[in-house]
Amino acid sequence: MTTTTYNEAAVCVPRAGTLYDVLELILDRGMVIDIFVRVSLVGIEILKIDARIVVASVDTYLRFAEVCNRLDLNQDAASRTVPELFSSMASGVTSTGAKRAVKSAGGKVGDKVKEAIGVGEDEAEDEADEGRGRSGADEERREEAEHAEKPRKRRSSESSGSARTARGTRRAQEA
Amino acid sequence: MDSSRVYVYGIVHAGRSLPPDVRGVGRPAAAVRLLPVGELAAVVSDVPDDLRARRRDLMAHQELLTRLGAGAPVLPMRFGMVAEDAATVRQAVEAAAATHLAALERLRDRTEMNLKATPAQSGIEALVRADAGVRRLLADVRRTPSYEGNVRLGQAVAEGLARRATEAVEEALPRLSALADGFVRGPDVPGCVLNGSFLVPNAAQERFRAEVERYAAGCAERVELRLTGPLPCYSFVPQDGAEPGTPARTSAAHAGVGG
Repeated sequence: MTTTTYNEAAVCVPRAGTLYDVLELILDRGMVIDIFVRVSLVGIEILKIDARIVVASVDTYLRFAEVCNRLDLNQDAASRTVPELFSSMASGVTSTGAKRAVKSAGGKVGDKVKEAIGVGEDEAEDEADEGRGRSGADEERREEAEHAEKPRKRRSSESSGSARTARGTRRAQEA
Repeated sequence: MDSSRVYVYGIVHAGRSLPPDVRGVGRPAAAVRLLPVGELAAVVSDVPDDLRARRRDLMAHQELLTRLGAGAPVLPMRFGMVAEDAATVRQAVEAAAATHLAALERLRDRTEMNLKATPAQSGIEALVRADAGVRRLLADVRRTPSYEGNVRLGQAVAEGLARRATEAVEEALPRLSALADGFVRGPDVPGCVLNGSFLVPNAAQERFRAEVERYAAGCAERVELRLTGPLPCYSFVPQDGAEPGTPARTSAAHAGVGG
């Protein structure tokens, strides 16, 4: 089994051996025989949320708003600026999954939202899989993302005036 | 063994052998065995203590079914199906043997390919240019920046992107379905405008992939696609209500899948 992603940033990104894209099939499809019982699915809902937390959230909305605010609508539609702004975001989503994108793009706002609605990642990880393998990997990933945060900002502020403005906007949102 | 509970992975034709080194659910992994029932056999193992839907157990279930399905058809069970004892399994499989045999034939030399479509986020600029409502919200936010204004703008963008992606998907479905022997929409997945599975003949698999790729390239600014497979045919077995003893409902569910 492989998953191939087709998007603008990368036409073809095959990925093997992950459950992310088939979780709902394994859990909600397949044959059921009524006289069999089903093992407790405690933890499943959390595992699902864990895999898909990024969509339709305030994090995402704010990120979209930020992108809109960066747009220069007077510019030619063929301007390369927008795809460039996106390339880092898109590759983040496809290569390491949703959470990292939230971490690097959503930042503090996202954390607060998650705390508020009670789906802390640690809790979800612990429930979903007693932990060590994946939870450990995520821990590293999270640290990695946090470390990456500062240099990334520095780069963007060097790159252009519009990026600097955007950073200002984000600060304002985080404040 | 008849006195202890059994975990059921799937149903295959009798006379098959298990691939070498297959591992079941649990840690340490349970030993997988075949439980012959007439012309069929159930693929089963003991039930580990405290079995839950852990990642490694889901993977074990999935991998075993994938390997079993590589050479010959298999009816995959939903994750976590446990029978009271082996006799219960025999009884259940026997009672619906005709249905199971028919379902296995339907899956022969075919595989499930799952296609998920999500809105392409790089379409934001095109959306803003095309959508007066979004442009108005953007103008408002630029005039009077506010958290609420940004959330409203972002939400409108998300909805607009989803709408464009849905339109793109509906255009492509007929072409893709034409290459498949079946199509079913899967459970709704948050963020996806399409979660659908195709029953694709092995011989047509490359053509199907090529068609997805061609289509993806054509509307990359509206929709991002993720194609997963080959998968055990979870979506093309008799679904809920296919319990033994009610073949009418079973065949109805089956016909529905045929679409």
